[in-house]
Amino acid sequence: MVSIRLPRLFEKKRGSRRTGSQAWGRAGEACFYAALLAAGMVFTAMLGRRIVEAPGGLASIGLWMWLLTLLLPGALLSIGGSGLARLIHGWGRSEEGMAALRRFPEMFQPSGRASEVEPFPSVPPWENLNNSPGTILRYRLPLESPESWSVFGFGLFAVLWNAVVVLLAVTAGVDFVGGQTDWLLLSILVPFVAIGVAGVVIFVRALVLQTAVGPTQIEIADHPLRPGDRCDVYLGQGGRGMFRRIALSLELEELATFRQGTDTRTERRVVHEIPFAEWRAISIAPGRRFEERASFEVPAEAMHSFASLHNAVTWRIAVHVEPAKWPRFTRHFPIIVLPQRTGPALLNVPPSRLAVVGSGR
Amino acid sequence: MMPGSLQERLEPRVITEFDRPSRRYDPEETVRLRYHVTGTGDAVVRVIERSALWYSEGKGEEDLGVCFFERLTDPQGLPPHTRRGEFAFRLPASPMTYEGTIVKIRWCVRIRLFFVGRRDFVSEHVFDVGELPPVQLPLQPRAVGR
Repeated sequence: MVSIRLPRLFEKKRGSRRTGSQAWGRAGEACFYAALLAAGMVFTAMLGRRIVEAPGGLASIGLWMWLLTLLLPGALLSIGGSGLARLIHGWGRSEEGMAALRRFPEMFQPSGRASEVEPFPSVPPWENLNNSPGTILRYRLPLESPESWSVFGFGLFAVLWNAVVVLLAVTAGVDFVGGQTDWLLLSILVPFVAIGVAGVVIFVRALVLQTAVGPTQIEIADHPLRPGDRCDVYLGQGGRGMFRRIALSLELEELATFRQGTDTRTERRVVHEIPFAEWRAISIAPGRRFEERASFEVPAEAMHSFASLHNAVTWRIAVHVEPAKWPRFTRHFPIIVLPQRTGPALLNVPPSRLAVVGSGR
Repeated sequence: MMPGSLQERLEPRVITEFDRPSRRYDPEETVRLRYHVTGTGDAVVRVIERSALWYSEGKGEEDLGVCFFERLTDPQGLPPHTRRGEFAFRLPASPMTYEGTIVKIRWCVRIRLFFVGRRDFVSEHVFDVGELPPVQLPLQPRAVGR
């Protein structure tokens, strides 16, 4: 007697890892996408029939209305079709096979040859860090500033929200001038105005905190770096008045992105912090800026920079600033550390070729 | 014998022998190994996949990257001598094996067997690339919603 394991109604799930049969899971997924695709086809056929049968045809409903009516069946067709295509593409393949197919598509061709690969796989590209020449040292590093995006987000929210408030206010004003008072609209308008004012206040505060102290500039003599390398750094800090402390450190941060229920969360953890320069009681005259040079050494047994879809290991120079009259802040300047030199073969590595790869038979 | 009842008694095992007993290699070195599949009984193996890859472990979702992949296949069943073999591959310059706090990177060789009429079987054999010390003294984490 052939035993068949039926699918369970409940199963454990952590992120993309699940218990249970993969075959049943894929079959269920295929049914879901097929249903979406079928629904899209039925909707499209119904719409097409109505338009053909309508007096005047397509011209009678107008182009925009035609595009609007295509939105729902189009979305169903694209989601269902792409999902089914992805399932068919991966059917009967292992996760290694799928990863190999993505990376070496030529390997699955009759010739069976692998493509050339990048010299440092999974090390992030550093072209964007090297394309800005420095004034004192060779490279000026770009600022990694999530705070700037927060300011942008606050600003965008304030603009959009207050646009809605203005629209409601104009409607209420027109009614009032016309001798009518819409109390429901007014009752909605009051909390909307309060939220709009709060949005503007939060945006202005974030903008002032971000720009009051002045820009920070970091330049380095060499890039990318290797474990054991020593590198000169130039610091330029704008602003005026007193600073309690300005310090530089080299940091290694791990970053892991994972799903928790329906949320995607990112955890960051600084696992190495190597302070290498510090200045105290600094006074910057108007029109001048604080300029200093220092140097640091990348630890000889350091992990290289690494980035994949959900995980990363990043190196950066952190500038810790404590102004006398403003809250302290830290600005980060990412750098790339390449793998350790292990022999002559790794010096100035040209794009390498995989020595042994196979093809399906 | 019926496939369903045989499924319970099938205990495949893959024995590997790396050319370096320490299983520690430097980036861009060539890894050579032999393997031997046992415990498959009369089951028909239609595909054997041999691969070398890195994968991430830790708090984040798993990522993986393949540096070597080979698939031996015959829908009618592979001959018995294919269950013993050897292969070699050249490691890339990165990533290196890493033992972090919330991110870890491991390298392994996987031998995957696809049987006719039953679930596939995979055997994983870990090795090290580079010799980085494990990360210690972690600082406090900060989680950010996205």
